[in-house]
Amino acid sequence: MTRAWIVAAVLLAVAAPSDAQHQFSIRGFGDAGLTVFTATQSFKAILGKPSGPIFGGGVEVGLPKHLFFSVGGSRFRRTGHRVFVFNSQVFTLDVADTVTVTPLELTAGYRFRSSGFIIPYAGGGVGWHKYEETSAHSTAADDVKTTHTGYHVLAGAEVPVQRWLAAAVDAQWSSVPHAFGDAATSVAGVYHEHNLGGFTLRAKIIVGR
Amino acid sequence: MFPSKSAGVMVVITLAIAAVTAQDAPSGFRAFISDITSPGIDNGVRDADAPRPPRPYPTDLTSLTGGAPYLRGSIVVKFRPGTAPAARHVMLEHAGASKMDTPPYADFNIVTIDDNADPEAAAAALAQQPDVEYAQARYRMHPMFVPNDPLYSMQWNYPAIDMERAWDLNPGATSSIVVAVIDSGVAYRSAVLRRNIPAWHASNGATTFNFPALGVIDIPFAAAPDLAGTDRFVAPRDFIWNDTDPLDFDGHGTHVSGTIGQLTNNGIGVAGMAFNVRIMPVKVIDSLWDDILASPFQGTDDVVARGVRYAVDSGAKVLNLSIGRTGPPSPLLQEALIYATTHGAFVSVAAGNDFEQGNPTEWPAAYANSIQGVVAVGAIGRDRQRAFYSTTGPYVEIAAPGGNQRVGGTTGGILQQTFDFGFVETYANGPARYGPPRFDVFAYQFFQGTSMAAPHVSGFAALLMQQGITSPAAIEAAMEQFATDLGPSGRDDQYGYGLINPRAALRGLGLAK
Repeated sequence: MTRAWIVAAVLLAVAAPSDAQHQFSIRGFGDAGLTVFTATQSFKAILGKPSGPIFGGGVEVGLPKHLFFSVGGSRFRRTGHRVFVFNSQVFTLDVADTVTVTPLELTAGYRFRSSGFIIPYAGGGVGWHKYEETSAHSTAADDVKTTHTGYHVLAGAEVPVQRWLAAAVDAQWSSVPHAFGDAATSVAGVYHEHNLGGFTLRAKIIVGR
Repeated sequence: MFPSKSAGVMVVITLAIAAVTAQDAPSGFRAFISDITSPGIDNGVRDADAPRPPRPYPTDLTSLTGGAPYLRGSIVVKFRPGTAPAARHVMLEHAGASKMDTPPYADFNIVTIDDNADPEAAAAALAQQPDVEYAQARYRMHPMFVPNDPLYSMQWNYPAIDMERAWDLNPGATSSIVVAVIDSGVAYRSAVLRRNIPAWHASNGATTFNFPALGVIDIPFAAAPDLAGTDRFVAPRDFIWNDTDPLDFDGHGTHVSGTIGQLTNNGIGVAGMAFNVRIMPVKVIDSLWDDILASPFQGTDDVVARGVRYAVDSGAKVLNLSIGRTGPPSPLLQEALIYATTHGAFVSVAAGNDFEQGNPTEWPAAYANSIQGVVAVGAIGRDRQRAFYSTTGPYVEIAAPGGNQRVGGTTGGILQQTFDFGFVETYANGPARYGPPRFDVFAYQFFQGTSMAAPHVSGFAALLMQQGITSPAAIEAAMEQFATDLGPSGRDDQYGYGLINPRAALRGLGLAK
């Protein structure tokens, strides 16, 4: 966690304006997308597929020199079933299991100069990924509530729609290492999948200028 | 003087009755004069009865066989596929065999040999022939329990394995799961059987006791009140009397059935593990009363193997074998167990009660660790320690409550409804007080034995199957993976992988935990 804060501070420092005379812009955004988790087999076993929709939003601060900094949160939530895995065969049990992943991400990035209508951008940052898992008839000791630090890079393109409104599409790859243990007491352990990260494709509506 | 019941009159009883011992007789040995009797009588809990000493094994083994652990006059043989009839004939002649039959639900033959011939030697001679897959004597099986004449609060065994929380996850499975109780029969129906009970005599090794003929009497049977329900029993079959009325003359099968599926939450008596399943009563074990009444078959390896195949072919998904024997291995039992698992049936087998008798290898339990989907079950007492009788060995794979009355007294056993033995074991107090039996009077009895542990695992398997684990091998793996380790860390010969943990296994695996 400490390391993540250091990285975040560095990102802020890099993105921070060196000249206070330059103007800032603040915009809000909402997004929706699809995440394909790196722990493909594990998510597929429990939720039926390794991917699912995410919804989120945040605030983006425009900085001088085409830099920007954003704080965003999103949420993935899906209900499947607990399982038993034996010789690669997955037996789906009659116990509902709900997985919720809530990343909070800090991103610093750069908007590329563009003569055209589309403004490409790229960036990277750190995130704190809250993982929750609960199931039918579980007790507090059975449930999982943990937070893991991760890193991400992203690239996308923004299209102005109106003066105060823009749309964007971006693709993000994130890594959240060591989120899952290696013990055979979990599906992730059975498949030796430890990373909570994944690949996310999302569309944004940005309000502000 | 005939010893009192509490002194262990049944220690070694050698019957010498004029019994029909033919093992290939057709059906039609029994005449039921009525299907209707009064409801079973419930005589309540027998928790104040003094424990009686464990019967040395195998108590009934000596019945009708002069003490030999096998039948005389016949052996079992299986020829390799493609063996010509002429070749079979030559081999059989060489072994002194006179006749060969193939009974239903068998992929082997019963070969008649001279009554005076040694069945083990005859089988060994046949087994040497290149076209013979296996040959063996017809070893007698017996129940793996130590009955003790002695409601939910008295069932320590369920809290011990966290069953109350497990039932939250799966409340007793459903009627789609059929569990076969391959045992001494089950008190599953009402009937009146009219039989002529002949004179017989028995010995405790020192004294011979002559029991008088009782003449033609009507023997009443009733379904165990806390076990029987609507549509509860399916495909009953009796391989001891070769008919479809596997009535329990012993009480063992009824007690075992109770642990698997006693009606629960019905305001009566006690609870069972998987209380919504359907029970398939398959009788393969003869009791003393079967012997007295001259049943045409006895509980030998081949009869048990046929019972296993019948249960599988009739749709059972879980088979409970609270039976076993010591002695040499039995390839036909091994093949029957493989047949069961390859046809999608899980098998729970009692590990054996002979730890203090030299801890010999028990069959068919010893096949368990080589067949995925067959589990040999050891017993623990209320103290979560291995019960004094529970056999140990590399084939013990899991442990479950079987009771230990040496530590916990009478109530340290496993409580279920079965017969009130005062009405069944009418011979136990000697010839002077001997009278006709009744099989319609019930009581809640504490039993101990791996026979009582195995049905916990059978009920557990039924719950897992209902929960979604349909492969016998996967059921075994789940049981072992989620077991609570007892004894030395990891698998050991006393507890196997440990004490069953139904709740953990029924919950299975989450993504992260």
